[in-house]
Amino acid sequence: MKRVFDTQLIGPFAAMVIVAVIVALTTDRFLNPGNLSNLFLQVSIVALIAIGATVVIFAAGIDLSAGSMVALLTMILAQMLKFMGIPLVLAIPLILVVGGVFGLVLGLITAYGRIPSFITTLAALIALRGLALTFNNGSPIFSLDPALEPIFYGKIAGIPMPAFYLLFFYGLAAFTMNFTKLGREIYAVGGNPAAAVLTGINVKKVQTITFVVAGFMTAVGAILMSARLNSGSPNYGQTLELQAIAAAVVGGASLAGGRGNILATFMGAMTIVIVQNGLNLNAAPSSVQNIVLGLIILLAVGIDMWRAEISTLMARILGRGKGAEAAPRRKEA
Amino acid sequence: MTTQADTPLWEFVDISKAYPGVLANDKVCIRLMPGSIHGLLGENGCGKSTMIKTLSGVQQPDSGTILHNGRPVVIADPQAARDFGIATVFQEFSIVPTLSVGENIYLGNMPRSRFGIVNWRKIHADAAAVLAEMNVDIPTEAIAGSLSVGEQQLVEIAKAVAINAKMIILDEPTAALGEDEIERLHQLLRAMRKRGTAILYVSHRLDEVERIVDEVTILRNGRVVRASGETEINVAQIVSAMVGEDIGEHYPKEQNASDEVVFEARGIATRAGVAETSFSLRKGEVLGLGGVLGSGRTEIARAIFGTDELTAGELVLNGAPVRFRREIDAIEAGIALVPENRKYDGLFFNFRASGNITAASLGGLSRFGVLNLRAEERATHDLIRDLEISTQAEEKTVNFLSGGNQQKIVIARWLFSNAQILILDEPTQGIDIGAKIAVYKLINQLTRAGKSIILISSDHDELLAMSDRIAVVQHGAVRRIVPASELGHDDLVRASADPAETPKEEAFA
Repeated sequence: MKRVFDTQLIGPFAAMVIVAVIVALTTDRFLNPGNLSNLFLQVSIVALIAIGATVVIFAAGIDLSAGSMVALLTMILAQMLKFMGIPLVLAIPLILVVGGVFGLVLGLITAYGRIPSFITTLAALIALRGLALTFNNGSPIFSLDPALEPIFYGKIAGIPMPAFYLLFFYGLAAFTMNFTKLGREIYAVGGNPAAAVLTGINVKKVQTITFVVAGFMTAVGAILMSARLNSGSPNYGQTLELQAIAAAVVGGASLAGGRGNILATFMGAMTIVIVQNGLNLNAAPSSVQNIVLGLIILLAVGIDMWRAEISTLMARILGRGKGAEAAPRRKEA
Repeated sequence: MTTQADTPLWEFVDISKAYPGVLANDKVCIRLMPGSIHGLLGENGCGKSTMIKTLSGVQQPDSGTILHNGRPVVIADPQAARDFGIATVFQEFSIVPTLSVGENIYLGNMPRSRFGIVNWRKIHADAAAVLAEMNVDIPTEAIAGSLSVGEQQLVEIAKAVAINAKMIILDEPTAALGEDEIERLHQLLRAMRKRGTAILYVSHRLDEVERIVDEVTILRNGRVVRASGETEINVAQIVSAMVGEDIGEHYPKEQNASDEVVFEARGIATRAGVAETSFSLRKGEVLGLGGVLGSGRTEIARAIFGTDELTAGELVLNGAPVRFRREIDAIEAGIALVPENRKYDGLFFNFRASGNITAASLGGLSRFGVLNLRAEERATHDLIRDLEISTQAEEKTVNFLSGGNQQKIVIARWLFSNAQILILDEPTQGIDIGAKIAVYKLINQLTRAGKSIILISSDHDELLAMSDRIAVVQHGAVRRIVPASELGHDDLVRASADPAETPKEEAFA
């Protein structure tokens, strides 16, 4: 059986715990209940967008468009609520659809237009931010709808709403990746697209679907962003795509595709947010935060690349008999 | 023709090398004489690669003595090996595809002026001289990546000639070569032998070994089971020494073909080069496609499998015309393709055996898109047992498995999908003799169950022995079909060769 909770979770979980312990030891206020719940609210948006980023990475793609798409979607949502008189109950599903359609377009260009996803979504990163600025003369739109805020700040039985979203979407994603035909096909496409073609998997379709998922999850993130600040702004979501990718990578998803566990992405997101929180509490300037985020990404990718060496080293340390064989994955095509 | 001197050029005495948990070389002795071609044989995992690494200075042995012209030496690193005149041609070439042939030949020791400026004229002149000496006609300005695999191999050997190597190690030199390219390589090796070069020749292809090797050393489980110096080369003995038991028939062919035609190609053509060809396949039959590299065998396979669109003709399955727009159509109609290069487009290295075996049958394994993982594990377990695949495959991703086990897993995929017609493209390439025989037995098992097989193989002995009929392919079309029993090795070579044209490389080679 493919295990949902497998050994791939140990590393990211350990990283999360170690980081949390370090921050807790160095910062008094870290364990305050207020701070912890704030931390949780903070992680929710990144962690939800990271689901999409991870699924794209599983299929050996990359999505750089999320941050700009969040900005654009908050502006569209603001436009709908404030100026077009569309009710919230209708606006939210519409935004989800719009996000999915954006993802669909990016996916079609990537898969059928044969343009590498790095380029497609880099172009979108630039263009969608520009598109966001065309709304409301490039100014943020505030005070959208009083009913918007409870979506983010509300609680059911004392549990903050984002916890339910996280539970629902991570549960759905974990189920899909581990127990469904689609999930298996995504891993297959990421693992070896040429072999996937010869086993009858519709590779282009699967690749496109991963981008639809990413667009949809970005829309979920955008709605929460709007709800959190009761506004829309063309400046929202800066570097959010990088944080999402970092969450996936810290969670152990291989950028080469085909390997990783979606639940580990949540731990990756937690790790990053705990570090940011620790820096915040110690009044570190945002410049330092960016430097640290950069280093975390570098370290996480390094761990991915040096995996063979690390596991050999671990095997030696643990005194197990066999040296782990290096995986012949990297192609020198 | 073997000995010019009585002192061996190199003598490796009691070389041992252990990796964590496994003794890869256990007191291995090899003597390499100048002017002699020495075969190093053994199944995968027998310690050949370890030995090659020691000889070429990549690693140090744990114990043992290395004698060069009778004097003990240490081969400290690859550079030291080069200084001793040892050149190694690894299976994966170290050619830089974007550089010219001349640059490749002198890569790492380019002649330079005092100011560090590369002397291009000298490079190309010297490279041309080396190639002329080898009797090879490749322009030194040609970009290495544009050459055929066989030519790249020759450039790789030219590097050895350029440093004036006294000993050259060839690791599976013919794995990617066509028949006449192999012949060209052998001619070159014979010429080098005449000049006194010691050659260590590592190969799985026993027919070749018989043709070119002067003496053999056979390894099994890290030990020498048949020592050098015995000059009589007998394939049957070699096989039993390698496998460790008398395997009886090397090609255990069963006759399972019936008269019932299950599949027909009628005048099919594709843009990839299949030229209006027709043939039929019978129930339980093995139809061998013979021909040189580039003759269009792989393209015919792609046409049948729905990968390349037909521009003419039709396919008839069980009497009814069928149209495959993509691979999944062919798969659902019961056709399977085991591709030539299992690493490139056969296996999912991120999956364990289960994911690999069920990859082509996910639709049948799922209900409303949800996979029946229990059924998957059960089927995998059974197939691993039936095909005698390493049980490690249940727990570990398939990159940890040997080539033979990997190939069995690719075939198991199509047993699980219950394919009726299997196209096997070079199914035994690069796997050891024990695994080859297992694949042959599997072919028997399949045909016995009424399945039909289209076999593509560059190993002519294998093709002749395992096929019921042979279709000779030239220029993308089947020229004639003859019972395999009526063809000999030479007939097949002659029939498939076309003297008028030099063969082009297969696009997917």
